[in-house]
Amino acid sequence: MIGPRSGSTWQGYAFVGPFVALYCFLLIYPLFMGIEISFNRADLFGNREFVGLENYRRLFADPIFHQAVATTFKLTLLIVPTLTVITLLLALALNRATRTAGVLRGVFFSSSVLSVTILTLIWRFVLTPDAGLIAKLLGVFGWEPIPFLSDPDLTVPALAIATVWWSLGLPMMLFLAGLQQIPGDIYEAAALDRASRWTTFWKVTLPSLRGVLILVIMLQTAAQLQIFGQAQLLTSGGPSGRSRPIVLYIYELAFGRWELGYAIAAAEVLFLLVLVITALQYWAVSRTKADR
Amino acid sequence: MSRGRDRISPVALVGLLIGAAIMVAPLVWTLLLSLKSNSELMRDSAAAFSPPYTLENYHAILAASLVPRWLLNSLIVSLGTTAGVLILCSLAGYGFARLQFPFRRTLLALVLIGLAIPEQAVILPRHQLFAQLGLHNSYPGLMLPGLVAPFGVFFMTQYFRAIPVELDEAAMLDGASRFTLFWKVLLPLTLPAQATLGVFTFLGSWNDYWWPLISATTSDRFTLTVGLASSQMNYAQTSGLGFLMAQAVFASIPILVVYVLFQKQIVRAMAGAAVR
Amino acid sequence: MIMLAALLLSGCLQTDDRTTIVVQRFFGECGAVYGTSTDVATAESECGILMTMINAFEAANPDVRVKINVVAWPGYPQLSAQFAAGDPPDLVTMHQSVISDYQARGLLDPMDGLLAQAGITAEDFTAAGRAGVIKDGQIYAMPWDTVGGLFHINTALMAEAGLMREGRPILPESPEQLLDHARHFRAATGKPYLIQAQVNDPATHVRNLYTYLLAQDAQIFPDARTIRINTPRAREIVKLLRTIHADGLTTRSQDFSAATQAFTNGEGGIFPVGTWMIGPYEEEARTPGRPLYNSYAVMPYPSLYGRPAAFVDGHAWIMPKRKRSDPELRAISRFLGFLAERNYDWTRTGHLPAFKSVLDLPQFEALPHRGDIAAMAATGGQLPAYVQRQSAIQGLLAEEIEAAVTGLKPVDTALEDAERRVNELLSQML
Repeated sequence: MIGPRSGSTWQGYAFVGPFVALYCFLLIYPLFMGIEISFNRADLFGNREFVGLENYRRLFADPIFHQAVATTFKLTLLIVPTLTVITLLLALALNRATRTAGVLRGVFFSSSVLSVTILTLIWRFVLTPDAGLIAKLLGVFGWEPIPFLSDPDLTVPALAIATVWWSLGLPMMLFLAGLQQIPGDIYEAAALDRASRWTTFWKVTLPSLRGVLILVIMLQTAAQLQIFGQAQLLTSGGPSGRSRPIVLYIYELAFGRWELGYAIAAAEVLFLLVLVITALQYWAVSRTKADR
Repeated sequence: MSRGRDRISPVALVGLLIGAAIMVAPLVWTLLLSLKSNSELMRDSAAAFSPPYTLENYHAILAASLVPRWLLNSLIVSLGTTAGVLILCSLAGYGFARLQFPFRRTLLALVLIGLAIPEQAVILPRHQLFAQLGLHNSYPGLMLPGLVAPFGVFFMTQYFRAIPVELDEAAMLDGASRFTLFWKVLLPLTLPAQATLGVFTFLGSWNDYWWPLISATTSDRFTLTVGLASSQMNYAQTSGLGFLMAQAVFASIPILVVYVLFQKQIVRAMAGAAVR
Repeated sequence: MIMLAALLLSGCLQTDDRTTIVVQRFFGECGAVYGTSTDVATAESECGILMTMINAFEAANPDVRVKINVVAWPGYPQLSAQFAAGDPPDLVTMHQSVISDYQARGLLDPMDGLLAQAGITAEDFTAAGRAGVIKDGQIYAMPWDTVGGLFHINTALMAEAGLMREGRPILPESPEQLLDHARHFRAATGKPYLIQAQVNDPATHVRNLYTYLLAQDAQIFPDARTIRINTPRAREIVKLLRTIHADGLTTRSQDFSAATQAFTNGEGGIFPVGTWMIGPYEEEARTPGRPLYNSYAVMPYPSLYGRPAAFVDGHAWIMPKRKRSDPELRAISRFLGFLAERNYDWTRTGHLPAFKSVLDLPQFEALPHRGDIAAMAATGGQLPAYVQRQSAIQGLLAEEIEAAVTGLKPVDTALEDAERRVNELLSQML
C-alpha cells in the first residue's frame, strides 16, 4: 500500500462506500437477477415459469439468433479494422502543429459529438434511394439510385460506413496522444541511421503505438459487438433480418415478443461473447509480447 | 502537437481533403435540407441544391415542438451524470489508492470485474428493478445507471496512485484532516483526469439511446435521442423532410458550439486517456 | 449557453395546476404545420386532424392539460416498455386486432363507465367497431374507425394503358389477368403497374396475404396457439407477389414514404395501401398541375381468388390499467366524448367511421369516393378474436414474405420458416 497508514476503517468505507453500494445495487444485483430470470419462461409483465436451461437450448437452435450473431460479427469485422487503419493514418498525417492540421483534426472529430439518432437521421437522407444525397448525386450523371437500406448485400456495409463516419474521433485522438508520447530522440536516431520513412514507421512508430493500438481495437470491438441504435433506426434489421445485430434481437424479443426470459438469456450469451473475445484479444497480445 | 515535418505532404493532403469532404458533405446536405420548404422537398429533395432557402422549419421548432425541451432534458441528464460520476469516482479512486481498510483488495477486484460486464447484460433486469422502485420516467431514473462507471474508478485510482505520497504526508503533518487533504491538496492535482473522465462520461450519456428509450415514458422526459427517434421512424407522416432535418441541426448546434469553443481542452482531455 | 438553459428552464418548468392526462398516439409528427392550430375543419391527414382536435379540446377545456407522446408506428414495443416500467399513459391509440393481447393479461381498464359518463354506449358503435372493442362483455376501448387496404389508382396512366372503361378503371379478376394487365401497363406507359411499400412496412405484405387467404375462407389460425400458413393457397399468393416483384411489375426498394411520394408523383399505376391515403390523394387530385390532378380513383382490392374480401382492422383508444384520480377520470371521459363528437372529421382521412351516426350524415355521404369503397364494410374480415400477439406475428410474417418476394428464400422455405417462427412465438405465450 502506498498511502500513509493513518486512515481508519470507516474513512476508507466513507470514500469507496457510495460508489460500491451503487455499483452492487445497479450492476451486480441486476446481473444475478438476470441470470435467475434467464432460467425462466418469463414475460414482461411479471409472469414466470421455471424452465431450467430451456432458453439457452432454444438459443442454440434458433436460426434467427445465429443470423444475428453472424451479422454482429460481420459488422464488427467491417468496422473495427477499417476504423483502426483510417484513424491511425489520420493521426499520422495530422500529428503536426500547422493550422491546417488543427482544422482537419476538428473536422474529423466533429461527427463524434452527434448522438446516434442524429447520426441515423443524417445518414438516412444520405443513403435512401428516393431522397438521399448519394441518389441525387448519381442522378446528376443519370445513374440509377442504389438501395443501400433495403438491398440484402448493402445494408450491413451501409451500417458499417455510417458507424465508421461517426466513430473516427476517439481512436484518432488516442493515436494522436500516443504519437505525442514517443520521445523525439528515437526519431533522431532513426534519421542518423538513414532509415526510410517506411522503415521508421514499422520499426519505431508502430511499436511505440502498440499500447494505444491494442486499446483502440479492444474498445472498438467491445463497442461494435453491442451495436444497436444504427441498425434499429436505419434498417430496422431488414431486409428479412439480414442486418439485425444481437442487441436489436434482444430488444425485439423483450419488447416486441414479450419473451423476457429468452431475451435475457440472449443477453447473457452476448455478455459471454464479449468477455471471451476481449479475453482472447488480450491473450493474443500478451503472447506476442512474450515472444519478443 | 509539435512533432512531425511541418507541412503535410501533397499526396496526404489530397487524401485528407477528400476525407474531409466525406465528413462534411452529409452535414452540409442536412443543413441545406433544413433550409428548404417541405412542400418543395416533397416533390424532389434535389431542390435543396438551389435557392430559395427559408427559416420556416426553425420557426416551427421554436413555436411548437418539444425539441427544445428534449435538448434541455439531455443537458440535465448528461451534466447530472457527469457530475455524479466525477464525485463518486474521485472519492472511490482516492479511497482505493490511499486508504487501508478491510476487504480493500476484494472490493477493488469486484469493481474491476465490472469493466467486463456490458450494459446489455443488465439492462433488462435493471428495467424491472427500476419499475419496482418507481424510478422510471424521472431524472434520477435516467441518470443513475450512468453513475455506475467502473472504468472511472479504475482510472481515478491509477491517477491518485501516481501522485507522490510525500504530498499527503506533508499535509498530514500540518494537521490537515483526511477529507481536507483529499479536497484541498490532491483533488486539484487530478483536474486533467477529471476533464478526461468528464468528457467521456458526458459524451456517453449524451449518446445513450436504449436506456432512455425504455425508461422515459412521457414525451416531456424524453432525451433528444429518444425524441428524435420516434419522428424519424414515421417521417412519411411528418411535417416533412425539411422540418426533420431542422430538428437534427437544431439539436446538434449546442453541442457543436461547445465543441468548437472548447476544442483544445476536449482534445487534451481525450488524449489523457491514452497517456495513462 | 447558460442563458439558453435558463430560458428553456423558465419556459418548461412553469407550475401548472391543470389536471394532466397523457395521450399516446402514432400517426406521425406534424407540429410544424398544426402545432398550435385548433381548426379541425381545414386540417388534412391523420396527424393534422387529430392534432387540431386535441388542440381544440385543450382550448375548450382550460382546466385540462393533454400531454402527447408521439411514438414510432406502431408503438407497441414502446408501450410494452411503459407497461413493464409501471408507468403507462392514460389513453393510447391501438389497433383493434391488438387489444385482446393486453386485455387478456389484465393490463387494460374497462371503459363502459367512462364512456357512459360521456353519453356513449356500445349501441353507438358500428358493428365492426363493436366487434373490435368488446371483450368478455365489457368495452375495453373506444373504437375510432375501420381501416383496410384499397387500390389507389392513377387513372391517367390506366387510360394510357387502355385499362379504363366508362371512366372507371378495369381491375383484374384473376392472378393471371393481373399479370397480363401489369405487363401490358408497363409496355404502354414504361412505368410499373404497382407501387408498393416493401421496405420496413410489415403491414403491406401481411395485408395482401391475409386478404387473399380470407377470400378463400382459409383457416389461418385453427386455434389460439397454431398458425397454418405453409399451405398451397398461401404459397400461390406469395408466388404471385414474387412474380410481380421479379418481373419488375412493381416499384422496388421503397419504404412507406418513398412509395407514398412515388404515387403522388405519378410514377406508377396502382398503390395498394390503406384507407388513410384517400384524404391526402384526393387533395392532390384537386390541385391543378399535379400529376394526380383529376386522375385519382380508389377501389377495394380486386377479387383474385375466391370471393371478394378485405382484411380490415380499426384504430381504437384504450386505457391502460393504473391508479387515477377522479378529476383525471373525468378529464379522460370528457376527452373521449369530445373526440367521439368529431368522428366525422376523422373520416375525412379516408377511414370508415366507428360511430353509426356518422354514416347517416349528409356531409359523410358527400365525401369523395365513399361509394366506391362502401363494399369494404360488407366484405371486410378480421382474424378470429382468440388470436393474440397479432402485431408481433405481423412482424415475423412480413420478414419471411419479404424474403420470398425479393428472392432471398424460395417461397416454400419462407412460408415453412414463417409457420415455425409464429408457432414458436405462440407456444411461448404465458
